[in-house]
Amino acid sequence: SPFFCITGLLITRWIYSGHFPLSDLYESLIFLSWGFSLIHMVSYFKFKKRKNNLSAITAPSAIFTQGFATSGLLTKMHQSAILAPALQSQWLMMHVSMMVLGYAALLCGSLLSVALLVITIRKAIKIIGENNNFAFSFGKIQYMNERSNVLLNTYFLSSKNYYRYQLTQQLDHWSYRIISLGFIFLTIGILSGAVWANEAWGSYWNWDPKETWAFITWTIFAIYFHTRTNTNLEGVNSALVASMGFLIIWICYFGVNLLGIGLHSYGSFTLN
Amino acid sequence: MENLLNPSKTPNLFIPKTHLFKLSFLHSNFNPQPHSSFNRRPLSITITCKVKTSQGRKNDGKNISKKIVLTDSAPELSNEEIKAKPKGGGKAWGVIKKFPKRVLAILSNLPLAIGEMFTVAGLMALGTAIDQGESPEYYFQKYPEENPIFGFFTWRWVLTLGFDHMFSSPVFLGTLILLGTSLMACTYTTQIPLVKVARRWSFLQSADSIRKQEFSDTLPQASVSDLGVILMGAGYEVFLKGPSLYAFKGLAGRFAPIGVHLAMLLIMAGGTLSATGSFRGSVTVPQGLNFVMGDVLGPTGFLSTPTEAFNTEVHVNKFYMDYYDSGEVSQFHTDLSLFDMNGKEVMRKTLSVNDPLRYGGITIYQTDWSFSALQILKDGEGPFNLAMAPLTINGDKKLFGTFLPVGDTDSSNVKGISMLARDLQSIVLYDKQGKFAGVRRPNSKLPIEIDGTKIVIVDAIGSSGLDLKTDPGVPAVYAGFGALMLTTCISYLSHAQIWALQDGTTVIVGGKTNRAKAEFPDEMNRLLDQVPEIVESSISKKPDNIGG
Repeated sequence: SPFFCITGLLITRWIYSGHFPLSDLYESLIFLSWGFSLIHMVSYFKFKKRKNNLSAITAPSAIFTQGFATSGLLTKMHQSAILAPALQSQWLMMHVSMMVLGYAALLCGSLLSVALLVITIRKAIKIIGENNNFAFSFGKIQYMNERSNVLLNTYFLSSKNYYRYQLTQQLDHWSYRIISLGFIFLTIGILSGAVWANEAWGSYWNWDPKETWAFITWTIFAIYFHTRTNTNLEGVNSALVASMGFLIIWICYFGVNLLGIGLHSYGSFTLN
Repeated sequence: MENLLNPSKTPNLFIPKTHLFKLSFLHSNFNPQPHSSFNRRPLSITITCKVKTSQGRKNDGKNISKKIVLTDSAPELSNEEIKAKPKGGGKAWGVIKKFPKRVLAILSNLPLAIGEMFTVAGLMALGTAIDQGESPEYYFQKYPEENPIFGFFTWRWVLTLGFDHMFSSPVFLGTLILLGTSLMACTYTTQIPLVKVARRWSFLQSADSIRKQEFSDTLPQASVSDLGVILMGAGYEVFLKGPSLYAFKGLAGRFAPIGVHLAMLLIMAGGTLSATGSFRGSVTVPQGLNFVMGDVLGPTGFLSTPTEAFNTEVHVNKFYMDYYDSGEVSQFHTDLSLFDMNGKEVMRKTLSVNDPLRYGGITIYQTDWSFSALQILKDGEGPFNLAMAPLTINGDKKLFGTFLPVGDTDSSNVKGISMLARDLQSIVLYDKQGKFAGVRRPNSKLPIEIDGTKIVIVDAIGSSGLDLKTDPGVPAVYAGFGALMLTTCISYLSHAQIWALQDGTTVIVGGKTNRAKAEFPDEMNRLLDQVPEIVESSISKKPDNIGG
């Protein structure tokens, strides 16, 4: 049901303002939460028989993003604004929607990888028998250093703990599939943005901060796929890369807008 | 009838082109040998069997067995290949020939490629963190030596490494070139052999090897041909040889990553061409004036050569803007005429943002606008053109102003009427003391009286900000973009392979897939459920299908 509400909201905004509802940060946040609920719906309907862990990630994300968008932080921007001349193009729909859908899928996938890491490292801490007073993050940093030895060992030991192993396998697989999907959207989004820039300003790549960070995100997920081709590096290492990707997406989406400069300044805002 | 199940003949196996670490031999049918070490390195099964290709029967009658190699991941370059190659020539020639092989082997190393990608990402991030294109003094101030960031990062780092122009600095470009060569090496050495391997289909002749697949199942009363029919209905390509079946689906998913790499190489080539062979320029032209394209365009690199079209003269007929009801600018338009060297008009078009003009390989974009002059009548005399100057204010809204001196123009302290405008719609006038006097629209022709002077705003003359560009690399880059989008989508497909063997009345089925590992068992179960169960009466037909 959040899916239908958000769809309704987006369509209303579209009709009212006369342009596709994706011209500033507020609208793109709504679109992002729509993306999450879309993924939630699709995976729910496709895999009715199986217990789906995905919903644990997608539903809260959708609610959280929607809540953030509607919160007091961004009240200035709730009115639908008019489009600047550069944004009056058919490419707006394709480029921005692809990018936001890509972000939604990649965020889900990398959250799943983070979950995978959490579970694996918790196991490592328990199995090695370390003092449980360690703060979680401290343990993570320490074990990242020894990961090549420790975590390979835990893979062998984990065969004892069958269900947890099943869970990590499932998380790993789902994270892989969702990130693949998100990667496709991200690729199409970046490339359509480049073509649009060429039509509007005569140059398809300007090393604008937002463009550059989108490219960095793309590169990190390309690294993710390459770490999976070699079975030695699969599993935990690729999950680490995907978790880095999670942070980088937020920098790309939000952090760059805080700078407020460059060709993507439509998305900028100030906290009041 | 062709007997393909010939266990005893395994004669001289000729060495195939791709060498792999050979783990075991599987002799065909019904004498399963122990399948050796299942280790985590690239799993390779070497199978010996006879295959009748659909092309010809030229191998008929000869017991040539081909070694068919099936791998999970990319086959690694081994030393054998390096030694096997040079036959003729002396030792020195052999060494020279070996060198590119070794370089290729180094370049197509996966961890190196991953490291390069990380480096590129890191450099790009740094490029956004450090302000680009500022003067050296700016960096002296921002990254002082007395107080270095992180304890060591000063302006010396920034300027010597070229971080102030990161995206054209040697460090960054060098890393990109290295990445490009790695890409080419990897495509040549790893991906293309993978194509050859994946295209060969192979039959597993032993029940044990089928059972060892990721997914395997046994159908007690079934026929392998029924299974084949059902698989065909599900979109698989099925090959049936006697009791043995091989089916696959989604082969494109295995080739698509090669396409991705090739597309990226195309984009990089196109980008290089753009960077070295294009012309760029921008100009702000007041309404009514001309310029020649060649005067405005400047080359960007050593491959840039001007064309005949550069002699075209561009005349700005009209520049005007559209506004929303709220007064904001909605779009700006320029009506241009192009004249060739003989003065003949060759093109006329109205540009706007997102709608450029293309002529002879040159593209003109509407990117900016400015206020050129304000045409007024003063006390009925004129019209006078007052040049409007841009005034700087915070934000990206524009503000222009001009000044009409009144009274004694030779004194040092001249007073006059100031006029300000944000756009071409309306002009705000202020009197000699700087107090607000009124607003006038240029088309209204309404006079305004300020301090005894009658002013009529006749017209607001704008200038059009145009960017011109030629770019020979664009077709290659666009083609690369399209190919990249397409191949990325295709590589989402999962390549599934299924083997089956008829063993008496039971059928043993095994399968594996490279991507959709979780959904595969479900799909297989669904398909297998559809295989009809053979009832007692038709069992007598069975033996005819096997051997014979």
